[in-house]
Amino acid sequence: MNPAGVNPVRRTALAVGLVLALLILVFATRETSRDRMTTHLVGAVAPAVVGATLDGSPWDLDDQRGRWVIVNFFSTTCVPCIREHPELVAFAAAHAQADDVRLVTVAFDDSPSAVVAFFAEHGGEWPVLTVDTGRIAVDWGVVGVPESYLVTPSGHVAAKVIGGVEMEELDDLLARAVAAVS
Amino acid sequence: MRIGDRSLRLTWLLVVVVVVGSLVGSELAERPPLTNADRVHDLAGDFACPVCQGQSLGESDVPIARTIRTTIRTMVDRGRTDAEIRSMLVARFGENIDYTPRGDGLVGLVWVLPVLVGGTAMAGVVLSIRRWQGRSTGGSAPGRPVVLGIVAVVVVLAGVLVARSAGERLAGDTLSGDIRSSTRTLLADAGVASPDEAISLYSRVLEIQPSNVEALAYRGWSRWRAGDEAHGRSDLDEAVAVDPTYPDVRVFRASQRHADGDHAGAAEDLVALDGLMAPPIVGDLLEASRLRQRIATGLAASGDLLVALELLDSGLGARPDAADLLAERGWLLVATRSPELVGRGLVNLDEALALDPLDPYGLAYRAVVLATVADRPGDAAVDLARFAGLTGQPADLVDLLVVVGLLEPQPEDGP
Repeated sequence: MNPAGVNPVRRTALAVGLVLALLILVFATRETSRDRMTTHLVGAVAPAVVGATLDGSPWDLDDQRGRWVIVNFFSTTCVPCIREHPELVAFAAAHAQADDVRLVTVAFDDSPSAVVAFFAEHGGEWPVLTVDTGRIAVDWGVVGVPESYLVTPSGHVAAKVIGGVEMEELDDLLARAVAAVS
Repeated sequence: MRIGDRSLRLTWLLVVVVVVGSLVGSELAERPPLTNADRVHDLAGDFACPVCQGQSLGESDVPIARTIRTTIRTMVDRGRTDAEIRSMLVARFGENIDYTPRGDGLVGLVWVLPVLVGGTAMAGVVLSIRRWQGRSTGGSAPGRPVVLGIVAVVVVLAGVLVARSAGERLAGDTLSGDIRSSTRTLLADAGVASPDEAISLYSRVLEIQPSNVEALAYRGWSRWRAGDEAHGRSDLDEAVAVDPTYPDVRVFRASQRHADGDHAGAAEDLVALDGLMAPPIVGDLLEASRLRQRIATGLAASGDLLVALELLDSGLGARPDAADLLAERGWLLVATRSPELVGRGLVNLDEALALDPLDPYGLAYRAVVLATVADRPGDAAVDLARFAGLTGQPADLVDLLVVVGLLEPQPEDGP
């Protein structure tokens, strides 16, 4: 016991404890890597999506300015992609008449023939890019498929979905994004 | 004791100076990467694969890691700095993948905390020693030989550290520096070198310019032909990823895939090639090797007749007067034995011979069809006679005609 009546060991332990508690608080309330993954690119200008579709026609995301676009990254060998595909087909069909949103699929690490066969079997009439898509995936920071992005008519990313999507989820995302910008 | 205290302090000061100096010196003297390939290797090793557990981009072979490595190669070759590449990767995939994060903000704690902990531990040790000295009899300082011994050990360790970081020499380096050839010279040398030497020269090009598609393509082709199939395939895939519009690699990979039994993949490469502005020599090479026809035959044999016809049609789109492709198209249709398709096949064979009346494949195929399917032996005999008049008849056609009984087997040459 020192003259001030405080044990120096206790004082040090208290200080260390306080610092540790502060650090835990800071790290616990920090944005997690999962949060960063789901918000990555959101609000930013959408990176380029340029290439040729399965029938050889050129396709450029910039040409879609003025429209809402869903950019979907997929692979024919990924099970969640196969599961989400009917939902995308239904979503595309539901919006075909109104033409208020368009869909583009970027096939990652896949062969054009496999993609052609996949769409022939599972349906889907929207543009699909298959060649040199690795650069597109890196530009978008895609770490795994499926990943989907909602792009605003001004060319900004409004939302990002990691994993398979459902039609209702996409409709909800679109409705909220439309409400937010109008 | 006064002199002894001063000496002790000087000794400790010397220890601190040597330790800190060697750490700072080794950091400053760290040798920069010698080649662009080293830079790519270092950068790929400094980032985690975004989807793997405990593997760096350099170690992982998942598609996204391979794609990011290709991007790093391309950026390095385009003269982008390490800082720009690091910043691109962090912007795309988040700072979590960075094994060497920046020193500011909360991330800075990664650097600061170990130093703080180490410093605190050292202070604790010093404090304990002093207390222990105070309690010991006489309170004398450690003996000079012990301190000098500690200093000597630290100095030796520091020297080893500095030597390891600054004194590395590569085999073949000279005192006056390394003399390097340009990538163009190396590629030209590789073109006339033996296969093993060529592979070595292409590797040297790739050390300087990791995304050099020509070196990747030709090294892959050379490796694959030399029997190093896994590395050959990897190089060819990498070359296509770096530049999908480089015609040579499409031909190489089509050939490799065809030999590996991946006829559909081979067809994709040739169809991609047809959409490129390939130099005439590539077309000549394809024509001479009959690679497209062999792939089409492989596809048809595995039940993909439609893809086989698309492959031939793609070639005809690029070369509309190609009698050999029309002849192959006709032959594949006839081989179905479907009456309607046989008729169409015969039309293709007629068209092929109208373009080139002496095309050996057109003549032989039509002779077989006329004799065995269309029951027109007289017309078949005319084609056969023309075929017999050709010099350098393809051996596979001679074998075919022998098998169907239109030619007598050739007598074996005597000893």
